[in-house]
Amino acid sequence: MDPITFSIIRHRLFRIVDEAVITLKHVSGSAITNEGHDLMVSLYRADGSLLMGGVGFLHHLTSAAEACKSIIWRFEGDINEGDVFLLNCPYTAALHTSDIYLIAPIHYEGTLVAWSACFVHVYDIGAMNPGGFSPDSVDIYTEGFSSPGLKLVDRGEIRRDIMDTLLNMVRSPEMVALDMSSMIACNNVARDRMQTLMAKYGSETVDTACASLIDQSETLLRERLRELPNGRWQSRQYFDVKGETYRVLLTMTKKDDQLTFDFSGSSEQSPYGINCSKWASWGGLFAPLFPLLCYDITWNEGVIRPIEMIAPEGSVVNATRPAPVSIATVGAIQAVNNAACTCISKMLSASEKYASEATAVWHGSHFAIFMFGRNQRGTDSIGILTETFGGAAGARAIGDGVDVGGEVPNPISRMANVETMEWTFPIRYLFRRRQQDSGGPGKHRGGTGAEFAIVPHDAPDGGIHYVISGKGTDYPMSEGLGGGYPGANSNYRWVHNTDAANDGANLQPFAQALNDMPGEKENIAWGVYPLMDDDALYVRWNGGGGYGDPLERDPAAVAIDVRGGLVSGGTAKDVYGVVLDAGEVNDQGTVKWRQTLRAERRIGEAAE
Amino acid sequence: MTRILSATLVRDSDDAIACAGCGHALGPAGQPWKPAAVLSEVAMKGLGGAPYSAADDALLRRFLCPGCGTLLDSETALPGDPFLEDVVEA
Repeated sequence: MDPITFSIIRHRLFRIVDEAVITLKHVSGSAITNEGHDLMVSLYRADGSLLMGGVGFLHHLTSAAEACKSIIWRFEGDINEGDVFLLNCPYTAALHTSDIYLIAPIHYEGTLVAWSACFVHVYDIGAMNPGGFSPDSVDIYTEGFSSPGLKLVDRGEIRRDIMDTLLNMVRSPEMVALDMSSMIACNNVARDRMQTLMAKYGSETVDTACASLIDQSETLLRERLRELPNGRWQSRQYFDVKGETYRVLLTMTKKDDQLTFDFSGSSEQSPYGINCSKWASWGGLFAPLFPLLCYDITWNEGVIRPIEMIAPEGSVVNATRPAPVSIATVGAIQAVNNAACTCISKMLSASEKYASEATAVWHGSHFAIFMFGRNQRGTDSIGILTETFGGAAGARAIGDGVDVGGEVPNPISRMANVETMEWTFPIRYLFRRRQQDSGGPGKHRGGTGAEFAIVPHDAPDGGIHYVISGKGTDYPMSEGLGGGYPGANSNYRWVHNTDAANDGANLQPFAQALNDMPGEKENIAWGVYPLMDDDALYVRWNGGGGYGDPLERDPAAVAIDVRGGLVSGGTAKDVYGVVLDAGEVNDQGTVKWRQTLRAERRIGEAAE
Repeated sequence: MTRILSATLVRDSDDAIACAGCGHALGPAGQPWKPAAVLSEVAMKGLGGAPYSAADDALLRRFLCPGCGTLLDSETALPGDPFLEDVVEA
């Protein structure tokens, strides 16, 4: 094939995915899709293998490939033009029940030539708790509607019996219907554009280009791996749920042009929904691998071929049915994301050529807080506080992490503005801002997380409730790199104002900090809580990991951070070793103080 | 001729793992180097400021160069958990 035609077809495939994503967003009505970008669209080959990975949450790219293969197997002989299939069973291919895959075959002149697949986190899936994350569930049976595969659209006609059954099992069925419509529309656009592409260039030419594209990705990744040193690197993640501590231990081995991710030594599966299935871990390790190792390589089956995974059955990273998994995407999968990010970055750090690509962990711990109740318009509202998608960038070899700078597994994540959230739910924000001392200290500082507080406002029922499935409160999860410290922990406080209300003091309506709020401040992380009457909810989310020794940070940069309120004076002196006078660097004092700190460091026991 | 092994370590001309800052040797290439570093285990709580509200048993292990005091690597740990082992083949 001539290289010009190949490049044009490759580029058209990118654009098809882009246009399908735009369609998904335009039809969807939920903040989690439009603002949080908790979505994914990709193209697959006729055999279900990944052809063109799209944006959104990248751990879905490979899982949706397994979903396509499962549909091909289950519906063999009954796959027709215009069909759309639904799959959301985590023990078949999905990550958790609320991330529904809609998968559509693409035919050209009567022949199945490709698939498109997409997901959104639907408004609700009928689990014990509203919104999909279901901390009260102790098995998969209570995590809502779950299907290993069904035909939702038959030759272009929606099967009303199937759709109505699904909508009969969920809260806010009108919003779930809109979610489904957005995904059907997305797949329709992908199919139409693929057919147009084949009409222009011919199906055989396009097919040849697609096969070449996959081979090209494999070749390029294997070449890159051969440029990197052989070795093995480890990373460990701790996460806490209801007083129990779980570990994800990863040993990544690179030999020649192969990478093996071995999760042996990780904790046994949990009675809580933070587990994930095998395919979820598989997707979880690719989420950082795609952007860190394949930033200039097309994300497809070719990238997958050099990779192997070992995940012990019955562990938190390969749970067995009927273990609960509804929290997986912000539980074990995210720990897999983080651990893989660290191991890959350690390997990159051992290469002169690629060291600049290394990064500390970004936004190690999502916080899933789903609000539910009647809103100010008297209708039901269920949805996530999208701040969790705001994230915090890890520091890199080349510079500081971006404050509230997103996350590696989703290159397009973002959070909604305050007004959107106040319109969606009967709440009012007291404040929302970057969090001081949350970015992991280092030669390059991790990006800060942030903090905010909300109170009920204009609520017909006096307030609203929320489901929280947080972690990262006991152990920081945004690991540093090359000596950098991890980003700070997350923290969630339910502020009860009972005493203040009894005294007539009520909630301080213009509180600008947690300390300004009267009443008891109770740490919470798991379960359902009220935001009623005089309650408030305070959230502080984690910062990104730091890179390098904090004592090597440019003192002027520390001073800027202090003046900007991002680093406290105490941390500037104790951690960064910078002496400030009225906000300006005391050069001589800093040199002497850093010498003192280094001398103290050398007076210690050998690690052995 | 040196070759980098991490953000803070190099393999020196004697095929030893060494601090990139001062050249202090930490053992032969291709072997774990952390046992030769100075270990500082500090409580995570309050470590980087008030938001470090970690559990009482959470630690930050700091592996320091015996020669110059540079922080070579760090890892979050619980007491008793083994060191993370990173080995670049010689």
